[in-house]
Amino acid sequence: MLRLYSTIQKEILILLRDKGGLIIMFIMPMAMITLMALIQDAPFRDYQEMKIPLLLVNNDKGDLGSTIDSGLYDSKIFEITKLSVNRDEVKQKVKSGEFNIAIIIPENASDLLNSKVSHFVTKKLNEAGLSDSAEIDESKLSAELNLEILFSPDTKKSFKSSILSSLKQSTSKIETQTLLELFNKELKQSDNGGNEKMKDFVNFKEINTVETKEEELKLNSVQHNVPAWTIFGMFFIVISMSGSIIKERDEGSYTRILTMPGSYITVLIGKISAYLLICLIQCVLMLMVGLYILPQLGLPVLIIGNSILAICVVAVSAGLAATGYGILVGTIFKTHQQASTFGAVSVVILAALGGIWVPVFVMPEYLRMLSEFSPLFWGLSAFHKLFLNGGDLNSIMPHVFKLLTFCFINLGIAYFYNKNHHK
Amino acid sequence: MANSAIEVKNLRKVYKDAAIPAVDNLSFCIEEGSIFGLLGPNGAGKTTTLSILCGLIKATSGEATLLGLSLNNKVQEIKQMIGVVPQEIALYPSLTAYENLRYIGNMYGLSGKNLRNKIQENLEIVGLSSHKNHRIETFSGGMKRRINLVAGILHSPKILFLDEPTVGVDVQSRNLITEHLHLLNKQGCTIIYTSHLMEEAENLCSAIAVIDHGEIIASGEPKAVIKEHGTENLEQLFLKLTGKTLRD
Repeated sequence: MLRLYSTIQKEILILLRDKGGLIIMFIMPMAMITLMALIQDAPFRDYQEMKIPLLLVNNDKGDLGSTIDSGLYDSKIFEITKLSVNRDEVKQKVKSGEFNIAIIIPENASDLLNSKVSHFVTKKLNEAGLSDSAEIDESKLSAELNLEILFSPDTKKSFKSSILSSLKQSTSKIETQTLLELFNKELKQSDNGGNEKMKDFVNFKEINTVETKEEELKLNSVQHNVPAWTIFGMFFIVISMSGSIIKERDEGSYTRILTMPGSYITVLIGKISAYLLICLIQCVLMLMVGLYILPQLGLPVLIIGNSILAICVVAVSAGLAATGYGILVGTIFKTHQQASTFGAVSVVILAALGGIWVPVFVMPEYLRMLSEFSPLFWGLSAFHKLFLNGGDLNSIMPHVFKLLTFCFINLGIAYFYNKNHHK
Repeated sequence: MANSAIEVKNLRKVYKDAAIPAVDNLSFCIEEGSIFGLLGPNGAGKTTTLSILCGLIKATSGEATLLGLSLNNKVQEIKQMIGVVPQEIALYPSLTAYENLRYIGNMYGLSGKNLRNKIQENLEIVGLSSHKNHRIETFSGGMKRRINLVAGILHSPKILFLDEPTVGVDVQSRNLITEHLHLLNKQGCTIIYTSHLMEEAENLCSAIAVIDHGEIIASGEPKAVIKEHGTENLEQLFLKLTGKTLRD
């Protein structure tokens, strides 16, 4: 225990006297959190509350135009501008990017729809022998009723089809309603029944998956950036840790330690413990930024869920993964310059893949698959589970397992590399 | 006859991917209480021999015992009884002299008042007690060498290995170090010492072995060996045995 305690004490003293290292380990990540949360606040709000600019040219005075209008408004995803302009002007406005979508409802569209439906109903009732109305004008049945939709050239196919499907749903509802009313009328049913609006037989009800007393949780800039940069800061310890190993080797202290009694593993555990402690202090400080400093700057307060124990488990696992990686980098590389360059660049790459810079869900499919291999992604996902999904200790165990496995694999590789290079 | 502090029999070390052995069939005996000089040109096998005896690397074959304990199965016990003063200043520059020595003392199981007394006592001997709270990075070359020596003897080892302990230091510091080594030796510490300074080795050592290409080519008391090869001093003997070709 004396050897372990003494190693921890020695490592902490060395770290405390390394002013550059302290800045890298504490000040930089805290500054990053504050800065990134402020910078990304607006884009995150846009993403959550994004409205697509839509130009509606409603030349119809009847039900069809007004139903489509209210349907678009109710969807709450469009920022609707209503103008009375011709098709060429509409085309120009969409082409120039002023609007993503434009919908042109032709003049007398409701009348044409009613006429088409009326003729269709009469025809069907005649065929069934339930009515003896006048002859059917086939030309009215075949007359085309076209709603025109214009998309900007950069619109994704999936987005186009969801908009078309949504509009189709609105028009189908009007068609069915009109059809039902005419059937009622023709069958001479009561006026009350005829005027009754058809209700949906199947409804969709949105259920909130998080039960919390707090306001509804959303992935905002603070909820993303605080855990993201906390994990990043913890992994940036790789630079200090690998540097410490290389320095110890270059200055001969490593050799001296090997000539002393006892296992080197005790010294290694002491080193890992000291750096893990630094990681945990980093984690606490950075969460404090989210809890107390960012709200002072007008940003939302960080919501950390209900399980402090689970947060500690994630922090310890991520810290161990980072220190394990630091030991591997320090063991393999010969110079401090090599190790710090590789360490910094590799952590930045793993961070980018792990969704630290931008959330993983906005990445292309192949990058999302690669993210699964980043330890920073595991750490961030675990924090998101706790902070956004109201997760508990059990829900983060798969991520914790991956982080600990990563740590042990790194230590294992370092051990065998060291053994093979000191024969 | 004195007991053996170190006995080496047929020691051989071949590094991975090396064509020739670094140490080949090396056998020698160092008496307890002696100062033994292991001399040789660069690449002769001195550091490899010291590294094996300190338990840093394992020999490919052969046997070595220190104070009757075999390196093959009693390495931890041996490490507790030996002290090592490496050629590098193997200390932490940002820590003070006291913090470095406290750490090293703790690693040997020393603590509390006993450790504090030992640190103070040794720092006084090497003239550094007034600098005990100064960081190593502020020390001169000579001061670093002296504190490096203290780090190796703090736990009062029975055998002390020194790898060029006076390289690059001022005359006063060198004098103090060699005086202290004599003092330690008088107190019963066996010293194994490597150096390129032949005059220093001739004055300090009670026995020497000249090693080249991993083999001992001369050994015995310095004066006897010098006489045996018909040279005037150890430097002439060294050049006669190892040649004047540069060894890099």
